[in-house]
Amino acid sequence: MPKPILRIENLHKKFRDTEVLKGLSLTVYEGEVVVIIGPSGTGKSTLLRCINRLTEPDSGDIYLEEQKIEPGKSNFSQIRQQIGMVFQDFNLFNHLTAVQNVAIGPIKVKKMDKKKAYDLAMKELERVGMAEKAGNYPAELSGGQKQRVAIARALAMDPKIMLFDEPTSALDPELIGEVLEVMKDLANAGMTMMVVSHEMGFAREAADRIVFLEDGVVAEEGSPEKIFNNPERERTREFISKIARLNSGGDDRGLNNK
Amino acid sequence: MMEHIEYFIYIWPDLFKGLIVSLQLSVGALLLGLAIGLPMALMRTYGRGLVKTLAVMYIELIRGTPMIVQLFLIYYGLPDMGILLDRLPAAIIALGINSSAYQAEYFRGAILSIDEGQGLAAQALGMTKQQAIVNIILPQALRLVLPPWSNEVIYMVKYTSVAFLIAVPELMARGKMLISKTFKPLETLFWVGVIYVIVLSIIAKIVDMVERKLAIPGFQMSREDY
Repeated sequence: MPKPILRIENLHKKFRDTEVLKGLSLTVYEGEVVVIIGPSGTGKSTLLRCINRLTEPDSGDIYLEEQKIEPGKSNFSQIRQQIGMVFQDFNLFNHLTAVQNVAIGPIKVKKMDKKKAYDLAMKELERVGMAEKAGNYPAELSGGQKQRVAIARALAMDPKIMLFDEPTSALDPELIGEVLEVMKDLANAGMTMMVVSHEMGFAREAADRIVFLEDGVVAEEGSPEKIFNNPERERTREFISKIARLNSGGDDRGLNNK
Repeated sequence: MMEHIEYFIYIWPDLFKGLIVSLQLSVGALLLGLAIGLPMALMRTYGRGLVKTLAVMYIELIRGTPMIVQLFLIYYGLPDMGILLDRLPAAIIALGINSSAYQAEYFRGAILSIDEGQGLAAQALGMTKQQAIVNIILPQALRLVLPPWSNEVIYMVKYTSVAFLIAVPELMARGKMLISKTFKPLETLFWVGVIYVIVLSIIAKIVDMVERKLAIPGFQMSREDY
């Protein structure tokens, strides 16, 4: 029986009058790659942000391995640093070079020796194929390059799980591939990952489980084969065929993507 | 022409002494303004409840009253409360307090212009809010604040001339003294003005160089866009 890394129990979150998460429960096991899909507004990003408490949930419990994630406790930052996060719009630190972006977490949060932190940062940049751009500032990088550096930045904290919040949706179509390659490598290397993405190719190849989120709860889940080819619910089927149409014919994807 | 130059050579030693005092006033007041203004900006931006209210009240009170009133209050008013200040420190404190309110607003504007995602990414790495502010937000905000801050430097050097109202022997006061000695107001004020222009151009150049030195590709607006 694989070990659970992340356990989410009965998560609720309301924004003003809109209830986004309505008692969502989900467990992610060690080494598992879970891809989360679902119509916009169903709380996919909110779910990820609730996990490391960038957004405060209204109720529900989240456990990283056996530790409960709670703000205000002394271990709060300690738990956060074990959860890597990659954002849709990269959020690289604009005043730092690529290597500084990766090294600053270990230096400031883990109090790692500077020399060691930069060695580690270079290693992580190599891992995402960005070692040559180590000295460049974010403004000098393409979107895909920025996102690869952002992945390296999260990896440098040696996280137990990586959260990806639509990591490719802010990218030009021709830059998506390089980011997905890095993510596939990570998945193959056994990283536990939770990915919000509608990239069907990635989901098919790398996901162990697809979770279809609708209306603030897990509506359906299963292996990629089951969800893509043989979903139980009509609504899931409709949604899959809709994004399949958007994903198909790579060239005009940018044009159809409304 | 020659006589003008001769007159300048005659008054230069006095004006130079005044210029030194003006620059002392400027540096002192700018540093004091920075020391009060930056914390005020942080209190107003990140503080809650009473902390925020205090910062707002301080900033609005200082910005809402004329500098002369503040200067006279400190020089003529404080002795009533048993606090007696020399002219120079009194002027530095008055100018510094006045500047702090404006500097606080420059800093606050710069902090607010930093994208929210920067702070989120820092917190996601495990940084505390304070670490995120110190390591991520402020290094960017301080770069953005340089162009408006350089305006404050230039205003300050000129505003120090109000200190002559409490008889601080700065550049303007020296000019005034020379006028009563030589009865040449036009010539004297002309040279005082020339000195201000030259000194301020040099300062603007220095700020510009600092800005270039700290510039990060694609981050702040280039001077040409400004």
